[in-house]
Amino acid sequence: MPSMLVIATTAVPDHLRGALSRWTTEVVPGIFVGTVSARVRDQLWDAVTEVVADGAAVLVHPAPTEQGYAIRTAGTRRRVPIDFDGLTLMRMTAAPQQPHLAKNKQSTS
Amino acid sequence: MLPRIADSLSFLYLDMVRVVQDDTGVCARIQLDDNRTDTVHIPTAALTCLLLGPGVSITTRALTTLARHGTSVICTGAGGVRAYAGILPDSLTTRWLEHQVAAWADPHQRLAVATRMYEMRFGEDTVPHATTLAQLRGMEGQRMKALYKLLAQQHGIGRFRRNYHPDQWHQQDPVNLALSASNTCLYGIIHAAVLALGCSPALGFVHTGTQHAFVYDIADLYKADTTLPVAFSLHQATDPEQQARRKFREELRLIRLLPRVIHDIQRLLTPATATATDDDSDDPTRYDVRIVHLWDPKTGTLPAGVNYAPDGT
Repeated sequence: MPSMLVIATTAVPDHLRGALSRWTTEVVPGIFVGTVSARVRDQLWDAVTEVVADGAAVLVHPAPTEQGYAIRTAGTRRRVPIDFDGLTLMRMTAAPQQPHLAKNKQSTS
Repeated sequence: MLPRIADSLSFLYLDMVRVVQDDTGVCARIQLDDNRTDTVHIPTAALTCLLLGPGVSITTRALTTLARHGTSVICTGAGGVRAYAGILPDSLTTRWLEHQVAAWADPHQRLAVATRMYEMRFGEDTVPHATTLAQLRGMEGQRMKALYKLLAQQHGIGRFRRNYHPDQWHQQDPVNLALSASNTCLYGIIHAAVLALGCSPALGFVHTGTQHAFVYDIADLYKADTTLPVAFSLHQATDPEQQARRKFREELRLIRLLPRVIHDIQRLLTPATATATDDDSDDPTRYDVRIVHLWDPKTGTLPAGVNYAPDGT
């Protein structure tokens, strides 16, 4: 049975946007919304993960969890989903420390 | 608009973090080794129960936000075992508390509620009329023994003995660990449901003498269906406590425990009006009371904010 999905992309190649827009609607730049079957969803997500390179992408789709949805991510970004015994929340990881800023940051935090 | 308690996420367990209020909401700050801090935002309004394990510090501002959303906050031991203290949201109607206290304070009604609780565990219409509470307790003891035996057999465990020694926590077998962890989660959920109705967790009908007597009363109704099978299925688990919480959460989704708990408490306290509460079961169970009433021995309640001086001046 088809279900809704949302894919948010950052800095992905144009050809991927083309591939995604065949199945979904790009409602604002980089955000794709569609209703597809689980198989198509998996194939779209495979396509995303293959070409994501330096960019980042996140997929949200309905799932039989307590929350009602599942989150998948590709590429690296500071927000990572973490699992609290079955409840998924987003963890905002600390900014990577840069040597010339490290001293400064310590004093302000 | 506040979500109905029945729609909420069941529980979130945190430990070794600092919970603070920031510009956007309540978040958990996780201190990393090298002076870096990660942040996890907590969906306060969508959450029924927040379990705070060891090593959590929480600010008053964060607690205030949680209380405003009616999220019950419970201080627990490591892994959510033992519930030490619970925090009560204050903007609740006293309707169910009054039902509870009226039934609790009258020995006949109290016995009737206790009997109904045992009946619920045995199944409807299985308890002969005029069975004493002592007999019911005996029947319940036998039933638990038989259930332990049956579950132990099903999972190929030779002999099971319920064992609860907090001081020798890690020497216990996985079933006992899983059972304690999932029971505490169950207590947390029940505590949250009890508080959400505005009832007192302390005034129990079967249990007595503890601040959680009513929580234990209600939790006992569901152990045979929920925590016991989960715990026994984890007899070979490497991390039984965490897996119990995870499986228990999946169970919660399946049986939709919270709405059932709310409905069952209402039915236990007011059997006669159970059909009436069925009608408004779609209403939020959390009524925000904006109007304060005055009590009168003859008429029951009178509106407040009215001057009752004889000459009306």
